[in-house]
This record gives sequence, structure tokens and C-alpha cells, in this order.
Amino acid sequence: MNESKAAIRAWTRAQARLGLRMARPSIILSVMSCLLAAAQMWCIANILGPALTTLLPLSGAAGVDEPLWPFIGFIAAALLRVAVNITSELSAAAAGRAARRRLRSEVLSAIVGAGPAVLRQAHSGALASLAVDRIEALDGYFSRWAPASVLWIIAPACLLLSVLWAQPRAALILAICGAAVPVAQAVFGVGAAVASRNQFLAMTRLQARFLDRIRGIATIVLSGRADEEALHLSEAAEDLRVRTMKILRIAFLSSASIDCAMIVALIAIAIADGHHALIATSGADRQYLPHFVVDSLFALLIVPEFFAPFRGLALAYQDRALAQGAAAEILALPEPQPLTEGQPVRTVEAHGVTIVFEDVSFTWDASRGPALDHVSFTVPAGETTVLAGPSGSGKSTVMELLLGFIRPDSGRIIFNGADMQTIVPEALAKMTSWIGQRPVLFAGTLRENITFAKPDANVEELAAALRSSAVDRFLSELPDGLETIIGEGGFGLSGGQAQRIAIARAYLKNAPVLLLDEPTAYLDPVTEADVFESLKRLALKRTVILASHSTAVHMFTGRRVDLVHGRVAARQGAA
Amino acid sequence: MPDFPNGARNRKEGADRHALVRIMEVWRPHAVRLAVGLVLSLLAVMAGLALMSSAGLRFAGAALGVVIVTTASLRLLGISRVALRYSERLFAHDAMFRALATLRVWFFRSLASGAAAGLGFRRAGDLLSRLVSDVEVLDGLYLRILLPLAGACVTFPVLVAVIFRTNPLLAVLVGVLFCASAFVVPLAAARVSRKEGGALNRAQAGLRVGVLDLVGGMREIRAFGAETRMLDRVTSDNDTLLRRQAELSARMAYAGAFSQCCTQLAILLVLTAIAGVGFARIPVVQGIGILFLTLAAFESASGLTRAGMLAGNMGAAARRVVAVAEKQGTPDASVVQSDEMPANFDIRFEDIDFRWQPGRAPVLDNFSLEIPAGSRVALLGSSGAGKSTVAALLLKAAFPQAGRILLGGVDIATLPDTWLRRKIAWLSQATHLFDDTIRNNLLLGAPQATEEALWKALDEAAIGDFVRTLPEQLDTWLGEGGVKVSGGQGRRIALARTLLSDAPVIVLDEPATGLDAQTEQEFFRTLNTVAAHRSVLLIAHRLTGVEKLDRVWRISGGRATAATA
Repeated sequence: MNESKAAIRAWTRAQARLGLRMARPSIILSVMSCLLAAAQMWCIANILGPALTTLLPLSGAAGVDEPLWPFIGFIAAALLRVAVNITSELSAAAAGRAARRRLRSEVLSAIVGAGPAVLRQAHSGALASLAVDRIEALDGYFSRWAPASVLWIIAPACLLLSVLWAQPRAALILAICGAAVPVAQAVFGVGAAVASRNQFLAMTRLQARFLDRIRGIATIVLSGRADEEALHLSEAAEDLRVRTMKILRIAFLSSASIDCAMIVALIAIAIADGHHALIATSGADRQYLPHFVVDSLFALLIVPEFFAPFRGLALAYQDRALAQGAAAEILALPEPQPLTEGQPVRTVEAHGVTIVFEDVSFTWDASRGPALDHVSFTVPAGETTVLAGPSGSGKSTVMELLLGFIRPDSGRIIFNGADMQTIVPEALAKMTSWIGQRPVLFAGTLRENITFAKPDANVEELAAALRSSAVDRFLSELPDGLETIIGEGGFGLSGGQAQRIAIARAYLKNAPVLLLDEPTAYLDPVTEADVFESLKRLALKRTVILASHSTAVHMFTGRRVDLVHGRVAARQGAA
Repeated sequence: MPDFPNGARNRKEGADRHALVRIMEVWRPHAVRLAVGLVLSLLAVMAGLALMSSAGLRFAGAALGVVIVTTASLRLLGISRVALRYSERLFAHDAMFRALATLRVWFFRSLASGAAAGLGFRRAGDLLSRLVSDVEVLDGLYLRILLPLAGACVTFPVLVAVIFRTNPLLAVLVGVLFCASAFVVPLAAARVSRKEGGALNRAQAGLRVGVLDLVGGMREIRAFGAETRMLDRVTSDNDTLLRRQAELSARMAYAGAFSQCCTQLAILLVLTAIAGVGFARIPVVQGIGILFLTLAAFESASGLTRAGMLAGNMGAAARRVVAVAEKQGTPDASVVQSDEMPANFDIRFEDIDFRWQPGRAPVLDNFSLEIPAGSRVALLGSSGAGKSTVAALLLKAAFPQAGRILLGGVDIATLPDTWLRRKIAWLSQATHLFDDTIRNNLLLGAPQATEEALWKALDEAAIGDFVRTLPEQLDTWLGEGGVKVSGGQGRRIALARTLLSDAPVIVLDEPATGLDAQTEQEFFRTLNTVAAHRSVLLIAHRLTGVEKLDRVWRISGGRATAATA
């Protein structure tokens, strides 16, 4: 727990460093904008000051001309400031985009690198929302929080120096009020920061609950429980409100403390300098009054600018909390498995592959015992071996091992004499075709989904694959034939049709090893027989491992290995 | 989610407006709170304006040797400004969250009333998750648009009136600039974002689909060595999204710059008036008050441009939420609820015609079927033959285009949905396991069930032994969609949930999916004994031979024909 907290902290720190580096242009520009604001205020003070002093009944020269330079200065600074602000905003947004691009590609690479094993730990929907929404929500961390975390010190310091030069007493007031802000933040914030992390988790959980209930709404409705669930939901939403308000109350208190400091500074400067001016008008040092009025006006005008960066920081605080939330999820992604070291990586003869399991053991979860317990069998080249056994007996584990998604804890898997772990993954991928229970159809056309197996397939190859897999039998039923959009949001295909697409892919790929993992589990008997017929043709002259508990597998003649509780219980043929 | 064609902008705006009005109606119970929040926010704005101009006046007066604003009144303004701002934020946010909670529950309820028919039953969960975030987007409607806009509406007359007393021309010019900054630019931004928001949403949806494909299709991708290809595809989706966002943020920056220019120009005008350049010179003390007031006024309106950019997205979100919530599944709202309740649970399908969509082939064609109370009936057929449709019709998750379904002699169209669904327990193929404990998942069907009953149901579904091996037993967390257990185990927990309900009719749609042959047979043997006094409709593509059944029907060509098992 502590360790993971430390990891989260380390991750956020690393991200903060990167974020700061990217935010540098935006920070420099913001400081420039701040200095330009000070220049503008100086110009304003120099317009107002003389106007004010000319009105003094006791001043000697009644008709002092308004100087022209402050107007010109004001306009120039205004134009420059607008330009600087645009550039700063664009650069902050660009930093946010660059950071998201980087993080998203890191997350996606981690997911792809970890392979299908990652799906055992996390739901695909959760992973997708990590890669899309969570990272999208991190935008503020890089475009707002990173610059704000530096600006709140630099910008007020610059302004303070300029006030110090003009009006030391006002600078002192500003400095005291400014220093009070972090103190107040600390007073309200220390316990709050801890509380808010927990609150944040609770909030996320409640949001997840709402989403979950919406996803399962049909189940709720069809159990006749919609009213009860609506009641639960409103209770949960009420709870969410109470919790959120708890966080917000702290956030508002901290921003109220900024308001407070600002108003105290404003009033204190107005009263103290006003008092001083009042004495000066009747006193001896009257000749300094015009200068004094200009300086004090400048100090007064700068007060809102002085406190703006503090507010920016307070506003960006929740972006930081979001980053910590995302850190936990990103860190939970598994590290990609390194290749076994010290052994030469090689390829093997890719024709007529013999596969041997030598005393292979594998455990998913120690508390549930081994999934495979010292399993040995041989699959001769060009023959079909049926892997039978009840669900949970380890058939799928054998498949995952053969696909290289996981590695044996002990024992070896041998492809044509070479330990599988020493074969380069690309060569392994080229050697094997795989058809699972329900093929995934990607969003795209039917053609894209089939040529997925071999993007550079030519027209003849495609036509042959369509014919051999019997995809051509249902092409005419589709609205746009091969160009019909299928997958997410596309035309719905039946389970049998989807499986035929998988078979077409396997034909196109034309690999010597064919792995079939319960390919007919979701099909009715008529369709099943049909699909098995196609698979039988596909299986010719290939090394095939077919995992199935269907009774229809007797269509496949060959060896048979029966798995029970991860052990080989029986063999038929010479497996 | 019909996307309107480009030419029909008016209709789109109308739809946005209708959606917003609809959401306001949902918020009506909180009208008082929302109004109080609004008033507080306006008071806070006024206090801010008063404070800034008083501070300026105080100093200017002091420099002239007069006290225009007393220290006490300045303090009072300061304190009330801080207090008002704090309570305004607290109150407005609280009111907003109450309203949002109501909106969620309303959304859930309206979705529930139509869900059985369309959504949830047939659509992807991903679409729903988008709707959930749409509900969240709507919190900006009150806080980020309504409140600042109302603030600007109040600031505007005050600003103009105060300046008008000293210099009418200046008042008009500053007023025009304020309008441009607070109303015109945000409105233009809203229009642009409405036009472009669609493209942004599409880009985001594209990325989401790409990522879902990548994650969900990992096995295929690995098996075909397509990692690079798929990553490239997602990267290009990502680039599209980022490009759209870059365009939007550039637009936002330029709109912001425009309203900044307005502010600077207004200040310049006030300054020239004070200096007497181009205007009739205004008294300097009032001038300083006006200057501070102008600064505060434009500052408070500066957030509106951004809010305008959000307005387009918000309109789209509101439209989607309302469109989904208002989609009702009932084909004929005029059906009168029947007074008489069925005396028994004999089920009769009479000459049902049904198709899912007008353009598609009929699923059921003059379909008739009888299930006497207490009998055990199997309905067989190949995939797509309409087996599940029969169950959907019986549960009023879909409605026949012709014919009727009788329960104990009463047309189910006239029976209350909730009552009907509590009498008929359905294990559908899309049954959802909630991200909750096994116990709470089971209790969904029968909230009052005892611990003993829970275990009995689990044993009947042949999953009790597995649950006993779990360290936390019934309190084991199932995870999202039941990911913590295997598909077959999850299916059996769902089955236990169905068996647990005391409904007199049980519909089991392919209950053995994901079970191996041996477990399947065991399960059907238990089923023979457990559901003794209930009607059972077993939907399957084949029988194992151990089921004890009264009748077996085969469905093909949209009709049921008697078959021997």
C-alpha cells in the first residue's frame, strides 16, 4: 500500500518534471504578460495621478498638461499583452496535447506489450476508458496545473518587486497579505488534501456505480426492480453530493482566503495611503505629493493582478487530484514481459511443425492451484489433436501458452525441436493461426476485417479465402457485399457468419499451425456441423490443436488428449 | 443518435432548445434553491463592483483631502464581498448537485421505462457510457453559463447607469464594448462550437472505437502479428482528435483575445475621458470610481467567452440525453390498464407477427404457442430463429405488430410492467452481473431472501461449491461485468439469481452456455427437481436428453411446430 503510494508519488513527480519542461514557454509568456500588466497599471497611474493633483486647491501650478506618453505606453502594452496572452494560451494547450499524445501512446504500448493476459486483470472497457477518458482528463494537469504551480511564486514576486520600487509601504502590505495565502492554504489544506484523495476515490466509485447500473439496466428492468434501483441511485447521488460538497467547501474556503487577503490588501493600501496623502496635502512635503499619488495608485491597481496567480493555482488543484487518480491506474498496467535472456533467439523451419509439451506447469493464481500440472503430450506435424475436458480443466491455458500470451512456470514447449521461448515472437506469430470462441470483428468493412490477416493479399487469394471459408455464401445478404461496415456500430452478423470470417482470415494467413479454441461454443448444432466442415478442410496438412467439449468433434479423426484439473487424464492415439 | 444533416441547422437549434427546456423542467423541484444561488451570485457580483469602485474613490478622495468613503463602509463591503462570494459558490454548487442528482435519477427512470425495449437490451454499453458523461457535462449549464450570464445582465445596466450620470457618450461606448465582450462574442463562440462540436465528438468516438478494438481484439492482433498496424490506426485516430482540439483551442484563444481587446479599449476610453482627450472631461474622482468599476465589470464577464464555447457541447449533450430518455418503447400509449389480474399463469401466444425493424425480415410470423401453468416447455431452434424474441415479447421488452399474448386469459399489454416482470423471471443471454458482491447480485431478484435461500440457489445452479472455496464467500466482489469470475461461473451466478426469485414462471434462455457437457447435464438434472411447481420455458438450440419436459417445440420460419425431443 505504502509502496504503491510511493510509486504514485514518484510517477506524479516524474510527470510534473516533464510537464514543467513543456510548460516553460507558457510560463515565460505568462510572466511577460504579468510584467506588461504592471506597465499598463503604471501608465494608468501616470494618467490618473496628474489629473488628480491638478484638482488640488493648494497646488501651485493649476494647468499642468497631461503627459502623452502614458497613453501611448498603455496602448502598446495592451496590444503586446493580448498577443502574448494568445501565444501563452496556445502554447499551454499544445503542451497539454503533447503530454496526452505521449501518455496515450505509453499506455497503449503497455497494453499491447502485456498482451491478452492483461484482460484477465482488467475489463476491456476499463482499459479503454483509461486510454481515452482518463488521459483526456489529464489535459488540465499539463496545460493548467504545471504552469500554475510555478507562476504562483514567480508572478507575484515580479509584481512585488515593481511595487517595492514604487511604494515600499504598499509592497510590505502586499507581501504580508500574499504570504498569508499559503499559510491559510496550509491551515485549510493539510487535512483537506488527505481527505480529498479519499473523497476523490469515493466519487469515482459512485460514478462507476451509476455507469454499471446503466449498463445493466435491462437486467434491472426485467427483474421488475427499476423503482428500488432508482431509489438506491438517488441515495447514492445524494451521498455523492454530500461528499463532493465536503471537498468543495474546502476548495471554496481556500479561495475565500485568497479573496480575503486580496480585499485586506486593497483596503489597507487605500486607507494607509489615503491617510498619508491626507497628511501630505496639509503638510510640508507637499511637493512630493504628485509622485506619491502616482505610486500609490499604481500599488492599488496592481492588487488584483498580484492575487490572480494564487487563484489560478487554487483552480488547477483538482487537475492534480485527477493526475494522482490516473497514476494509480497507469501504474497498475503490467510491465511487458522481457524475452528470456542468455539464449539465442532463433527461427525454426516453418513447414510441418511438430509441437511437444514437456512437463509444462502453469499457475494463474496461487490460491486456486495450478491450471496445468506437469502436462506432456506430442502433436505430430500435419495431424489434428483434440484437447478435451470440462471447462476449467486447462484447455484455454494450453492455447494461451501456445500463442505466447503467457509462459510456462516450468517445463518446455518445443516447436520442431526449438524451445518456444527462444523463437522470435514475429516468427512464432507467422507460424500460427488461431480461431477462438467469438472472433472480434473490428470496426471497418468486411474486406478490411478479412485482409486483416494479410494486408497485402491479392484479389485471387482473397477470392480463394472467401470461397474456402464459405463467406461467399452470405455475401449477397449483406447490404454492400464486401464493403459492408461491420463491427462496433455496424451491420450485425450472426455467430456462424462471424466464425466464417475468422476461418477466412486463417485461410489467408495460411500458417502451418492452427489453434482452435472452442470454435463452435456459441453455435447451434446445424451451424456447428457446417463450421466444423469448413474447419476440417482448413485443417488439412496443418498441425492442428482443437480444444472443444462439443460432441461433434468426432468429425475430426486423430489423436485425443483428455485434461482434467490440469493433468492429462487419458490419451487416445499415440499422443 | 441521429445526426442532423448540415442544412437543417434551425431544426438542430430547435432540438437544443427543446432539450434545454426539458432539462429545466426536470430541475423544477430545485427551482427555489437554484434561484437563491442565482440571487446570491448577483449580490456577490454587486458587492465586488461596489468594493472596487469604493476603494478607488476612497483613495482619490483622500488624495484631495476629503473622505468620500468611510473606513467602516469599506470594511463592510470587503467582508460582505468575501462572505457573499463564499456562500454563493457553496449554495450554487449544492443546488447544482441536487439538480444533477435529480437529473440522473430521472434519466435512469426514463431509460428504465424504455430500456426493456431498445437500449440496454440491444445497444453497446459504450454508447451508454457516453450518455453518462453527457449527464455530467450538463453541470456546466447552471454554474458556467447561467450564473455568469445573469451576472453580466445585472452588471451591464449598473455600469451604463453609473457612467451615464457623468458622461453619456462614454456610457454608450463602454456599454457597446461590454455587450460585445459579454454577449456577442460568447454567442458567436456558441454557434461555432455547435457547428464544430459534432466533428470533435466524432473524432473522440472514433478514438474510443479504435481503442476498444485494440484492447478487445488483442488476441486476434497478437495471433496475426498486427500490433504495429493497429497501433498506427489508433495513433491516427488520436491525431485526428488532437487536431480538432487544437483548432478549437486556437479559436478559443482568439475569442478570448477579442474580449480582452474590448476590455483594454474600454479602459482606454475611460482614461481619455478622465484626461479630457476627445471627451468632455469627467471629474477625476468619479473618473477613478468609474475606472475601477469598469475593470471589475469586464473581469467578471471574461469567463463568458469560454462558456460560450462550451454551450455548443452542452446543447448537444442535452439533446442526446433528452432524446434517449424520451424514446419510449410502448408502441401504443392508449392501452388501458386492465382491472382484472390473471387468475393463473397459463401463457398463450396468439397469432403473433413481429419484426425488430420495419425494413427487416419478420422474425415471427403468425406465431402461436401455449404454456400451461406449471408445465415445462422447451423451445428449440437455430440461432436467429426468433427464440429469444419470444422471451422478449413475453416480458414486454418488445411489442408484437399483430396478435396478442395472454397470461391467465388477460392480455399482457394491459398488465403493469413491474408486476409482470416480477412474476416471470428471465435469464437472458445478455444478463448483466453488477460490479458488486455475489450476495447483492443475487438479492436483485429477491431482496428478502435468506442466507440459506441464497446458498440453495447457488447449489441448484451448480456454483455453490465454487463460492464456498472463495475466501469471502458471498461477499466476494464480482468486478465490472463479473470479470473476477470466469464466463461460465458468472453465467451460473446469474442463473442462481433467476432461480432465487419466487416468480411462478421461469424463462431460461440458453442457460447452459459456457458450461461443459458434464456440468450441463448435472445442471439440467437439478433443474428437473428445483422448479417443481413453476412453469419453465427452456430456450435452447439443442437438448442434452436429461431434461424432463412436458412439451418440446421447434421454431422455424417464424412459427412453432411440435417436436419430439
